[in-house]
Amino acid sequence: MRRPALLPLTATLASAALLLAACSGTAGDDASGAPDASGDAGAATPSAGGTLVYASGDAEPTCLDPHVGGNYPQALLASQFLEPLVGRDADGTITPWLATEWTTSDDGLTWDFTLAERTFTDGTAFDAEAVKANVEHLKDPATGSSTGYLALAKVDSVEVVDAQHARFHLSEPDAALLESLSQPWTAMESPTGIARGTDANCLAPVGTGPFVVTGSTPQQQVDLVRNDDYVRPDGTAEPALLDGITWRFLPDAATRYAALISGEVQVIDNPQPDTIAAADADSSLGVEHIDAPRPGSVNRIELNSGQAPFDDLAVREAFIRAADPEPGIETLFAGVTERSFSPLASVEPLAYSDPDLFTTDVEAANALLDQAGWTTRDADGVRTKDGNRLTVRMPVSTNQSVAAEQSLFEQIQANVAGVGFELVLEPMDLGAWYTALGNKEYEAVSAPYTKVGPDVLRILYHSDGTVPAPSGYFANHAFVRDAELDAWLDEAASTQDDDRRAELVQQAQQRVLEGFYILPLYDQQNHFLVRGATGVDVLHTVSTPTFVDASLTS
Amino acid sequence: MRRALRGFTPGAWVALAVVVVMLVMVVAPGLIAPGDPTAIAPREAFEPPSLAHPFGTDESGRDVWTRVVHGAVSSLGVGLQATVIGVALAMVLGFAAGLGPRWLDAGIARVVEVLYALPTMVLALLLVTVRGPGLAASVLAVGLATAPGYARILRSRVRGVATSGYVAAARLDGLAPARVLTRHIAPNALWPLVAVLTLGIGQAVVWVAGLSFLGLGALPPSPEWGAMLNAGRVYLTTAWWLTVGPGLAITVTAAALTALGRAFGRVGVA
Repeated sequence: MRRPALLPLTATLASAALLLAACSGTAGDDASGAPDASGDAGAATPSAGGTLVYASGDAEPTCLDPHVGGNYPQALLASQFLEPLVGRDADGTITPWLATEWTTSDDGLTWDFTLAERTFTDGTAFDAEAVKANVEHLKDPATGSSTGYLALAKVDSVEVVDAQHARFHLSEPDAALLESLSQPWTAMESPTGIARGTDANCLAPVGTGPFVVTGSTPQQQVDLVRNDDYVRPDGTAEPALLDGITWRFLPDAATRYAALISGEVQVIDNPQPDTIAAADADSSLGVEHIDAPRPGSVNRIELNSGQAPFDDLAVREAFIRAADPEPGIETLFAGVTERSFSPLASVEPLAYSDPDLFTTDVEAANALLDQAGWTTRDADGVRTKDGNRLTVRMPVSTNQSVAAEQSLFEQIQANVAGVGFELVLEPMDLGAWYTALGNKEYEAVSAPYTKVGPDVLRILYHSDGTVPAPSGYFANHAFVRDAELDAWLDEAASTQDDDRRAELVQQAQQRVLEGFYILPLYDQQNHFLVRGATGVDVLHTVSTPTFVDASLTS
Repeated sequence: MRRALRGFTPGAWVALAVVVVMLVMVVAPGLIAPGDPTAIAPREAFEPPSLAHPFGTDESGRDVWTRVVHGAVSSLGVGLQATVIGVALAMVLGFAAGLGPRWLDAGIARVVEVLYALPTMVLALLLVTVRGPGLAASVLAVGLATAPGYARILRSRVRGVATSGYVAAARLDGLAPARVLTRHIAPNALWPLVAVLTLGIGQAVVWVAGLSFLGLGALPPSPEWGAMLNAGRVYLTTAWWLTVGPGLAITVTAAALTALGRAFGRVGVA
């Protein structure tokens, strides 16, 4: 009975060892195939050619076409092989890309785009017909787009004026149209590629970008090779330096970092804050740190004002006054990010902050809860009112929160417990998390949302956002229903007066902050660590990396 | 029992002492570590072991020693509960198969064999998937998953005892069947289980910790050893003490219970 028990254990260990050996064997092959050292003497000399290995901690996209669904993992990959109509520079100015210039009518309902001369990597010409086909693909319910679909909600149709001119007809003015078109989720794909059908297009979408998808191995990697005929946004024909990119999926943060340090991969995303700090502190590691916070919303905890107990403003304020996330942000994030007091990301020029609303004050929190009628406490120290406990359920998506963030939630749990809240953290996978949100089985939640520009406020805090889309997803998790706020957000989305827009956007943020609907934490973290490569840059749309000027160093 | 203890080796005594200390941790953790296992101090996070914090502090500044001690309730306590569930179920199955009619024995034997063919962890994972994560689900999962093993041992013992001469004699003496069961069959059939059980508790502790390590057991901020190990894993390169404390606790507990179980077996409790 006892002896044989050892046998399976030994067998398991042995097979595990074999498996590990097999894994590292493959990885070693990849890495050795990668740097084309060609005997250069210099220690960090960039060399042309070679295959860069990128290790991603984001979920592996089930479809590489970012028109389908539309999440951040798709955007990361799509930025390598698709290009948008317009770009965006660091200060938020829209720049030409596949469209060289554009004009809008006085009523804001017609937009004319002049298109650059480009060819998709399958030989199909990029022209007004292609733009029309892309917009129709995004708007077709059968495509199953959500991000791109919402972004182009006001575009009625695209008219082909001639091959190089496309005219967008809008149902109402859209101040965010160019920002929406700069995102990878609305990037241009070959109409010939789209015509192959969803399954084929999901495996290898065809664009005009610096790289081409050549194949993929599920649960392992996507292979990209250089587009030799690549033409840059400024019109010069100059392909990327790398031969290609091996895009690997390594879900474990510690493994990714180890792979970077061992030279097995050259770029990793989603690193743990402590490893970023270690890399920053020790230059002998030779790790370059790229900090590229995502635009749009800040990372925050939304309090569900649609149901008890957070339907009471005083209870929301009490929670926020007691949460005290700052010491945790300082230690857990090791100085790689700062506390935010705004609904918008710090990279948004129109972000408005109000730190005074978020000072920690335990006494005030207790007083607020007493006034709100939560006067008694049960044996566990949890406040009660009419026999109900002051319980806050918070589903945590383990796919979307790094370990440091989950630890921060535990600290908030301990802090709010001091004033009598029972914060129940419920770690779950993404599917269960969507279900919990859909069934409104939450009083607090932290949900990421990336969108270029302040229009993200309309998606997250307009009362329209409380109505579920056909997919069941609704973005207004805080259940903000404020007619005046709605009016401001509607006007901000359609006004063509930039000053007026800025004013409205500020008013709206103020209203969201003063309503204590959200506890802003920090920018949506987006860091890249690079070792053994140079010239890696990020696009200023949704902060995805670009490798067009990257090369391996020997 | 006294005869058993007389045959103990020094190693077995050490194991027994460790198990007693562990039981104190389960019953009265405050005696050994008076602090609050969930009290945070973010500005004292990641402090290496010192006199004030023998196992250091974790990512939220909580004392790892206090958490390990208070975690015994979840880890060891849960291991005990799971074993109780497993044995209770096994007794029903084992006695029914051992004493019941042949068709019942054959039926139970087939079911147990099928369950036995599935590795315990796979069976536990399946149950947790159905029931959702949490300590209660882990207890039930590990309990149910270990039952087939105990049931098989018990069945063969019950069969052996039931056909022995003294049981036949008791029957011929005119004892009521219930009395034969409680007085003669049950004690003699259950006795060998003591050694197996002690081993089983150690194994159950490891399994429950394993489920928590995978994020399927204890929910935060509960100081369960497997969950602590998982939380500390990401800081392995920068703060090794987050994993050493709970790792030692699991290893020592499992080792002590295994040593004790073998000692019981060796000195003939079985």
